[in-house]
Amino acid sequence: MKPFVAAAFAAAFSTLVVAGSALAQEPIRIGVTQPLTGAFAASGNYVAQGAKIAEDAINAQGGVLGRKIQLVIEDNKSNPTEAVATAEKLISKDKVPVLMGAWSSTLTLAVMPKLMEYQVPMLVETSSSGKITTSGNPYIFRISPTSEMEARAFAPMVKKFGIKKADFLATNNDFGLGASQEFSQMLKKEGVQVGVMETMDPKATDFSAQLAKIKASGSDTLFVTTAVEQITLILKQAKEQQVKARIITTGGSNSPDQLIQQAGEAASGSYHLVFFTPWFPEAVKNADIATRFVEEWKKRGHNVGGLTEGFRGWDGVHTIAEAIKQAGKPEPKAITQALWNVKVKGINGDIAFIKQGPAGKESAQNVPSVYVVKIENGKVVKN
Amino acid sequence: MKAALTLLLLAVLATLPFWLDNAYLLHVVIITGIFIIAAMSLNLLLGFAGQLSLGHVAFFGIGAYASSLAALGFKLTTPFDVTVAPNPVWLSMLAGMLAAGLAGWFIGRLAFKVRGAYFVIVSISFAEVMRLVAVNWLELTQGPMALNNIPPLELFGHAFWKKPENYWLVLAVAVFSYILIRRLVHSRAGRAMIALAENEALATSVGIDVTRYLVLAAVVSAAMAGAAGALYAHYVRIVDPDVFLFVYTVTMVIMVVTGGKGTLAGPVVGGLIFGLLPEGLRAMAIAPEMQWIAYGILMVLVVYFLPVGIVPALRRR
Amino acid sequence: MDQLLQHGLNALMLGGTYALLGIGLTLIFGIMKVVNFTHGELYAFGAYMMYAVVMLLGANFFVALPLAIALGVALGAALELVLLRRLRGADIDTTMLVMIGAWIALQNAEQFAWTGVAKSIDSPFPAAPLVIGPVSVAWNRVFVFFVAIALIALTYALINHTKLGRAMRATFQDRETAALMGVQIGTIHTITFALGSGLAAAAGALLGPVFVAYPSMGDLAAAKAFAIVILGGLGSVPGATVGGFILALVEELGAGYISSGYRDAMGFLLIIVILLFRPTGLFARKERIG
Repeated sequence: MKPFVAAAFAAAFSTLVVAGSALAQEPIRIGVTQPLTGAFAASGNYVAQGAKIAEDAINAQGGVLGRKIQLVIEDNKSNPTEAVATAEKLISKDKVPVLMGAWSSTLTLAVMPKLMEYQVPMLVETSSSGKITTSGNPYIFRISPTSEMEARAFAPMVKKFGIKKADFLATNNDFGLGASQEFSQMLKKEGVQVGVMETMDPKATDFSAQLAKIKASGSDTLFVTTAVEQITLILKQAKEQQVKARIITTGGSNSPDQLIQQAGEAASGSYHLVFFTPWFPEAVKNADIATRFVEEWKKRGHNVGGLTEGFRGWDGVHTIAEAIKQAGKPEPKAITQALWNVKVKGINGDIAFIKQGPAGKESAQNVPSVYVVKIENGKVVKN
Repeated sequence: MKAALTLLLLAVLATLPFWLDNAYLLHVVIITGIFIIAAMSLNLLLGFAGQLSLGHVAFFGIGAYASSLAALGFKLTTPFDVTVAPNPVWLSMLAGMLAAGLAGWFIGRLAFKVRGAYFVIVSISFAEVMRLVAVNWLELTQGPMALNNIPPLELFGHAFWKKPENYWLVLAVAVFSYILIRRLVHSRAGRAMIALAENEALATSVGIDVTRYLVLAAVVSAAMAGAAGALYAHYVRIVDPDVFLFVYTVTMVIMVVTGGKGTLAGPVVGGLIFGLLPEGLRAMAIAPEMQWIAYGILMVLVVYFLPVGIVPALRRR
Repeated sequence: MDQLLQHGLNALMLGGTYALLGIGLTLIFGIMKVVNFTHGELYAFGAYMMYAVVMLLGANFFVALPLAIALGVALGAALELVLLRRLRGADIDTTMLVMIGAWIALQNAEQFAWTGVAKSIDSPFPAAPLVIGPVSVAWNRVFVFFVAIALIALTYALINHTKLGRAMRATFQDRETAALMGVQIGTIHTITFALGSGLAAAAGALLGPVFVAYPSMGDLAAAKAFAIVILGGLGSVPGATVGGFILALVEELGAGYISSGYRDAMGFLLIIVILLFRPTGLFARKERIG
C-alpha cells in the first residue's frame, strides 16, 4: 500500500510541478517598434537583429525572473502615424509592459503621447532629438546620446580639424534638423562661421541641387545628418559634383563599413561620429561584452556594416531585462520605477540614467561615449 | 421585414462597445468606419456620377490637415504674416470639410474641362502635389515631423479621449452620410448625375445642366471625404504627409469596386471586408505584403468575374 | 553661369532615361489606350533585375544590362497575355482597374522578394567624375545617356522602318482594316505592350545603379512618365522624347533655383498646367480621349 501511495503522491506532485512550471513558462513579452521598411529600413533592421541576439543571449542564461523573454517586433514603416499604430497594437493587443523604439526622433516623438495615455515605459535606443527628454514625459528612458551631447563631445575637435566655415545638409525631420541646430550653435561658440543649412526629404535620392549650393558656398567642412541610405548617395554625388569640403556625418547611424561597401572610393576621406567602434575593441569600455556581440553577429551572417547600429538593440534589451529583474514583476509601473536605478554594462559603455527635463516630470537620459572615426583607403581608422 | 432587419443591425452596431470587450478590435472597427465614410464619398463621384477620380485621398488629407491646423493654431511668416489661434475642434472639423469641399469644387470644374483618362491623371497629380506641399511647407505642416498632439473633439465640456465615444461619433457620421447619399441619389439632382454617368451626350440633349451636377457631386463627395479625414485626425491625433499617399486612394477604390460601385451598400460591404480583413490575416501571421498581393489579385478577379461588385451580384440571386 | 551649365548638363544626362520612360508609356497609353499603372513597376523590376544579376549572381555589369531589359520585355508580354487579352474591347475604366490590381500585386511581390531595405548596385565606372571645364558629370551618367539615346534610336527605327513597326502603326490607326490586311492583331498588342514595358525596365536598369533600388521607386517614375506623355501629346513618340528632356530640365531648374524639395512636384505641376492650357500636348495627334 505504502509504495502505491508514495507513487501516487509522487505522480501528483510532479504533475503539479510540471503544470506550475508550464504556467511560469509563459514568456515575458517586450514590445519593439522599428522601421523595418521605408526610408530608415537599413538601420531599423540592424537594431532588430541586435535586439534578437540579446534576446537569445538572455534566454540562454535562464531568462528573467525564471521566465524567457520574447520580443514582439512591429514594423513602423519609417512613418510616424504607423509608429503610433504599432504602439497601440503592442500595448492594447500584445499587452507588453515595456517598449523599445522607435528609432527616428520623429517616430519616437509620435509615440510619446501613447506612453502617457497607457502609462507604459519606453526605452529609446537611437533617437537624438533633445525634445524627447525635455517634454515632461516620465515614461521615456533614453540610452542614446542627444544631438547636444554629440556636439559637445565634438567641440574639442574643431580646433584640431581647423574648421573655419561649415555647411549643413540634413534630412528634414527632428533628427536632422535637431542635429544641424545643435552643431551650428556649438560651432558658433567655437568661433566658426556657419554657411548654408540645406535639407532634404527623408525619401529623396537626388541631392544635386543642394550639393551645388554647398559647393558654391566655399566652406571647408560639410556636416551631414541622415540615415545611412542617403549618406551613401550623398557621398557618391558629392564626389561626382566635386564638392571639396570634408564631410563629417553625425548621429551614429552612419554604418561606416556599409558606406565603404556601397560608396566605394567616394567614402574615402570622410569622418563619422559613432557610438561603438567594433574595429578598435580596446577603445570600448566593456571589451569582453563587445567582442562576444561582434562574434555572434558575424556568426549569424549579418552585414558587418550594421554593427555600429545593431549594438543599440543589444544594449536596449539588456537594460530592459535588468529593469524587469529588479522590478520583480513584468508590470509597467514597477518597471518604470526600476529603470531609474539600473546599472548595466553595455557595449557603448556603462548605462545609467540621470534626470532631464521639467521638474516633477523628468525623463531619463544616459550619458554615452562618442567616437570619431575616418574612412581611409577602404578602411576605418582612428581619427 | 427590411425595416426590422435594419433596426436590428443598428441596435447591434450601437451597442458594440458593450459586447466587444477588446480595446484593440474596437480601434480597428473605428478606423474601418472612417474608411467606409471615405469609400461612400468616393462611390458618389465614381459610382453614381461616373467620374474616374483617383485623387480622392486629396480630399481626405485636406480635411485632416485643415481641421488639425485650425484646432492647433499656426503661425506663418512667409508668404504673408498670419497667426491663427487654436479653435474648438467641432469648428475645426467644419473648417476641414469646407476646405475639402472647396478642393472638390476645383476638381469638379476641372473634370468638365478635362475628360476621361486625362482626368484620371490630373486627379492623381492633384493628390501628389498636395502631398509634396505637406512635405515641404514645413512652417505650416511640420512636414515629415508630422502634426502631433492634435486635440480630440470636445462637446459640452466632454473631451473624446476614450474609444467607445469615438466609435459612436464615427457611427453617427457614417449613418448620416449613408442617409445623405441615399436621399441625394434618389433626388432630382441624383438622377441627373446618374444620367450624366450613363450617357453624357444624351443627358445634355435633354437639357440637363451637366456641369452643375458634376460639380455638385464633386463638392458633396469631397466634403464627406474631408469629414472622414477630420474624424481620423482627431481620433488618431497625429497627421503626417503620408496621409496623401496614392495607396489610400487605391484602398478606397478597392472597397467601392469590389463592394459594388453605384450601389448604396457596396462601399459599406467593401469597406467592412477590406477594413477588417487585414486584422484577420495579421492573426494568421501572413506577411503584410502577401495580403496586398492578395488584394491586387482579388481586384483583378472581381473585375473579370464580378464586374458589378459583390452587392449587386448577391442581389441578383 | 557655371551653376546654370551644370544644371543643364544634369538635365541632359537624366533626360534620356525620362524619354525612355515616356516613349514606353506613350506606346501603351497613347496608342493602345491602356492606362498602364504597372509602368512604374516595370521600371523598378529593371532595377531589381540588375541588382539580382550583378550583386547576387556576380555577373558582369554589361552582360546584366541587356539581360535585365530582356526580362522586362518578357514580363510585359506576360502581363499583356494574362491580364489584357480578355479585356480587349472593354472600356478604359475596366482595364484601368485591372492594371491597378496588377500594380499592387507587383509592387508588394517586389517588396516581399527583396525586403524594404534599399539595394545598392555596383557599377564598374570610376567614382571620380568627368570634368569638362567648369562642370563635371559622373561617368555612370554619361554611360546612361548614351545607352538611352541608342535605345531611343532603335525604337524609332523599329517603329518607322520595319515591317513590324508598320503593322503596329496600322493596327492602332484602324484595327479592322489592319486585320483585313492580314495583320495579327493579338500579337501586335502583345508586342507593343512588351516593347513599352521593356523601355521602362531599361530606364530602371540604367538608373538603378546610379541611385538605389527600393520597392516604391516605380511610383514616382510612373508619375513622371504620365507627365511626359501628356506634355508630348498622347501617342507621339517624338513628343515623348522631347517631353522627357523638357521635364528633366524643368526639374533641374526648379530644384536649383526655386526649391530643392519641390523637385518631384515639377512633373505634377506640369501635368496640371498643360492640361489646363494646352491639353493636346506639344506634338498632338488629332484625337483626344474622352
